Order: sequence, then structure tokens, then C-alpha cells
Amino acid sequence: MPETDSKKRSISRVLRSALRAMLLPLISVVFAILVGSLIIRLAGYNPVVAFQALIEGAFSPKRFGETMVRATPLLFTGLAVAYGFRAGLFNIGAEGQLFMGGLVAAYLGVALGGMSAFAHISIILVAGMAAGAAWAFIPAILKAKVGAHEVITTMMFTFIARGIVQWLVAGPLKAPGPVAQTEPVLPSAFLPRLDSILPFHVPGRASIGFVIGLAACVIMWLILKYTTLGYENRAVGFNPTAAETGGISVAGTTVKALCISGALAALAGVTEVLGLHGKLFEQFSSGFGFTGIAVALLAKNHPLGVIPAAILFGGLSAGAGKMQLEAGVSQKVIFIIQALIIFFVAAEELAKLVLGRERTEVADVAG
Amino acid sequence: MLGDILTPDLFASAIRVATPLALAAIGGTICERSGVVNIALEGMMLAGAFAGVAVTYYTGNPWLGVLGAMVISSLFALIHGLASITLKTDQVVSGTAINILAIGVTGFMMEVLYGHPGNTDPVAKLKPVFHFGGPTEGFVGQVWNWINTIVFSHTPIVYIAIFFAIFGQWWMYHTTWGLRLRALGEHPKAADTVGINVILGRYYAVVFSGAMAGLAGANLTLEQVGSFTENMTNGRGFIALAANIFGRWTPGGSYLASLLFGFAEALQIRLQSFRDVIHIPPEFFQLLPYVLTVVVLAGVVGRAVAPAAVGKPYEKG
Repeated sequence: MPETDSKKRSISRVLRSALRAMLLPLISVVFAILVGSLIIRLAGYNPVVAFQALIEGAFSPKRFGETMVRATPLLFTGLAVAYGFRAGLFNIGAEGQLFMGGLVAAYLGVALGGMSAFAHISIILVAGMAAGAAWAFIPAILKAKVGAHEVITTMMFTFIARGIVQWLVAGPLKAPGPVAQTEPVLPSAFLPRLDSILPFHVPGRASIGFVIGLAACVIMWLILKYTTLGYENRAVGFNPTAAETGGISVAGTTVKALCISGALAALAGVTEVLGLHGKLFEQFSSGFGFTGIAVALLAKNHPLGVIPAAILFGGLSAGAGKMQLEAGVSQKVIFIIQALIIFFVAAEELAKLVLGRERTEVADVAG
Repeated sequence: MLGDILTPDLFASAIRVATPLALAAIGGTICERSGVVNIALEGMMLAGAFAGVAVTYYTGNPWLGVLGAMVISSLFALIHGLASITLKTDQVVSGTAINILAIGVTGFMMEVLYGHPGNTDPVAKLKPVFHFGGPTEGFVGQVWNWINTIVFSHTPIVYIAIFFAIFGQWWMYHTTWGLRLRALGEHPKAADTVGINVILGRYYAVVFSGAMAGLAGANLTLEQVGSFTENMTNGRGFIALAANIFGRWTPGGSYLASLLFGFAEALQIRLQSFRDVIHIPPEFFQLLPYVLTVVVLAGVVGRAVAPAAVGKPYEKG
């Protein structure tokens, strides 16, 4: 049976290259935890107790629901940043696009009534994506036409988005009462909890937003791998000059990539509002757009890699509270570990020293 | 009403608000001229702002606080140098990691040293340098009031920033060292051929930018606010980067561009007290510096040319 034989071989080859691709991120996480432990130790705490509490708080069966809750927005923002990176663009402003998604969800969740949950949620998902794409459009055009660096422009648009939301939730969209927040969205807009629709018990408050996030990762992977859009995205990211010579419009691809990235980031805002809070307030995102950068880098910008990376960072965030409670270590240490992971993943020379030159090249090509 | 808005205080406050931007922008200019992108200005400024307050808190001497701010920010810069020069990490990615690291380290240290998140206790601030009397009566008194307020009312770091703008401009274009710096970012290979140590030169530039960002942070906490609040830099590092571009990668230009942003910020603060007359929500005024940054970038970037080798790690041979 030569055919199944070659199939088997190709499956094992795919598996092996996937394992190799995951080796560097795994080593980076271990290194980051080691350095993080050192810092915790130097500050006078017990790192073993701290990380035990952190891991228990993140990945014990009872607590995993909360990890899924925290991972949900990171799936979208991680995917958004990764898709931009694959076109050579650094969407540091995913946070701003997330804010616009949240804003649209909070508004339409109240304003659109009298329809089925399916229609209501679908309309909001689409409108939210459109808002995120629109918010990324000006930085995208400026990048494509005059070369204004997207890191500065999308960052500025993040501050502008936050300012607008701050104004709206305290003013025109404010619900009656002392708190600056919008009215709760209608029941038809609420994303169902996983526990209520799955045949088995899912602990905690995780909504189908998590599943939508997983699906988005798979869809973006297929788009990048099998469509012209994805091919052009990768070609421009790999070598814009060669892509232009090959007949691909770099300007057009840049605009498309940043807008798609913005649309994906906005979904994080939509699912936070419809799946978790049920309303909008200024602090509704704890920097998910920025954590998305770490997620994308850890995933080596691979859409499927975003899934474990988002779950890891979601877990860190879910377990941080327990760590503070039981070991007295400030939750801020999570940011330090995040930064360390980025350093270790991105330092290519370091990887070459650790893994040898040839292996990292495999890791880069895989996917 | 215009007379109520355009007061000497407005211009003096524009210079004050421009100072942290200008210091970071000049640091960014030197760094990018050497060929290293520095989006970590934001994080280095934040680390400096915290270190300044923490050192002053324990020593009671704000000047030691300034020194501490510069040392700690330089250490952050050294990490950026190590990552982006020696380990050839993508410079924008390394800068992002520094920014996240600074949020983590300042927040973590705040809880270690102060026992709570949020704000530190207030500390002693640096006092204005000059105290002049002078005439107060009539036209002469008015003119003197303008000069005294705009020129002589400031704290030390404000003057240090002006010094760096003028001295840096001269240094970059009229000294051998300035020429060498520009060569590092334009044509590192040529610089290497004539015997300039590219790697070392870039390290100097990156660490200098860290020290400048630290000075900027010290200005925020030890001259303006008097205490540290988490994430208090609020995008100033990124605006400084835009000022550096608008100033076409020159120290003097960076200062003038920062002055423009400073004026926008001072104006929006001033306009907030006229909210009953203007009928625009104050939140919109607060967005002015960010909108201006985008407009400026959209308007000038096509014509301003970055150093040719910026962002590329140097490979010998």
C-alpha cells in the first residue's frame, strides 16, 4: 500500500515540523518563568509557592473556565496582530480597534430590538468587524500612501478610541445611575454560555465567544494558506519589493491587511461586551490589544499557534489573582513574564545559539 | 476672550509640557541616527519617572532622584541595545517588550516598596531656578511679566532640555562625533571601513536615549506632578517619536516639534476652563495632541527621510 505509506510519512513529517516549530516558544516560556522566579525571589517572595498558585489558578479543572474567559479576547487580538505581522505590519493599536468593536456591540445590543438572537448577534458581529476595519483604515491609508509608520498612528488611534468611549459612557450613552457605563444589552444579544449549549458541564462564565475565537483562528489559517488574499498577504510580508515586481499591489495589500487585522481585533471588544460584561465601560479591556502582541509573537504569527498562546496568556491572567492571594506576589509580575517571553521568542541569535541554525529555519518556514 | 486664553501662562505651560516630549525626542533622534529604532521611549520614560520618585522618597534629595531616573532608564536602554544590536531581535518588537516590561516592573516595584498599586506618596519637587522681582507697574511691568513668566519661571530640567536642543544640533552637524553618528545610521558599512566601531557606537546612542528618556520621566514626576501614577506617561513616548520624525531626526527640530505638541496640550488644558463658552466636551480637547500627531505624520512623513540603515542590525563582513 504505497499510497497510505506516503500519507503516513507526510503526516509524521507535518507532526515533526509542528513539534519543531513549537520547541522555541516552549523554551522561551520556560526561560521566562525561570527569570520571573528569580525576580520574585529577589523581591523576597517564594517563587515555588507563587507559580504553584498561578498554575492551579489557571489550569485546574475548576478554574479552567476562567482561563477560557480571559483567553477569548486574546484569541482575536493575537490573531489580529499575527495577521498584520504576516503582511509586515505591526498593528500595535489592536486595543483601539477592540474599543470600537465594544462600542458598536454596546450600542447595537441596546438599539436593535425585536429580532432573534441569531440575527441580532450576527448583525453585531459584522457591524463590529466593520467598525474595527474602519478604525484601522486611516492608519492603513497613511501607511500605504505616505509611509506614516503604523506603530505611531495606530497607537494614537487607540488613545483617540479610548477618549471617545470615555466620553460616550459618561455622557450620551450613559445608563441612569452613578456609574459611567452603558445600558445592559438586550437578552437577544447576549452570547450564550458554553455550559448552557454544550452537552457536558463547562465550569465558569465562558461564552461561545471562545468557540468563535477558535473558529476564527482556523478560518484565518485557511485564508492565509489557501486563498489569493492570504498569498498576497504573505508575499508582501516576506518581501514587498519582490511582491510588487510579481504584480501584487503592496499598497492595496497593506490596506487590506491592516483593515482585516482591525476587524479581528474588534471581535475581541464585541465578545467582551456581549459574552462577559453585557455593557460597556471605560475599563472593559485590561489591555487585551497589547497582550495580543505577545500572543502573536509567541505563536510565531501562525493562526493555529495563536490558540495555545492565547490560552497560556489567558491562564496567566486568570491565575494571577490566586498568586497574589496565596503568595503575596503582585499581579504585575505577569507583565514582566510577558515581556520576557517576547524577548526570548524574538531574539533570533539567542535561538540559534540554543537550537542550532538549521532548526530555527525550519521553525520559520513551518506553516 | 482671546486675551484670556493667550496669556503668558499659556506659553510658559507649553514649554513645560513640551519638555518631557523634547527630551525623549532628542534621545530618539540620537538613537535612530545611529540606526536603531526606539519605540521603547515610552517604557524608559515610565521607568525613569518611577525611579525618580522612589529614589527621592528614600533619600529626600530630588537631584539624586534625577540621577536614579537616568540610571534606571539607561539600564532599560541597555536591554534594548543587547536585544536589538547584539542579539539582532527585531527592533520594534524589542521596544514593545521593553514597554511591557516597564509597566510590569514599575507596577511590581510600587507594590514591593509602597505596599499598594496606583499612586506613590508625594515627594519633594525640584524648584524653579530663578526668582526675579522686577517692575510690576504699567507697560514695562506687563512686558516684564511676559518675559519673566515665559523665560524665567521654569524648573531646572526645562532648561536642560533647551540646552540639549541647541548643543545637540551643533554637536550633530559641527563635530566629528556627530558626523560619525550620522554615518552609523546612513551607511554603517562605510563607517566600519573607516574604523568606526558600529556596534559600540550604537550602544552609546541607545544608552544615551535611555538617559534622556529618564530625564523626561524625572521631569514628569519630580518637576510637574510630584508623585508617580501607574502608566502615567500615557503615550508621551510615542508622541516624542513622532516629534523626532517631524523634526527630521535633528535635536533642534525635535525640540521645536515638541513645542508644537506642548502648545496643543497647554491649549487644550486652558480651553477646558472655557467649556461653558465653547460647548465642546472637554474629552475632545484631550484628544487634540493625539489627533495632531496623526495629522503631522500624515503631512510630513512623505518628505522627511529616515536614516537609511535605521532598523537593520549590522552584520560585519
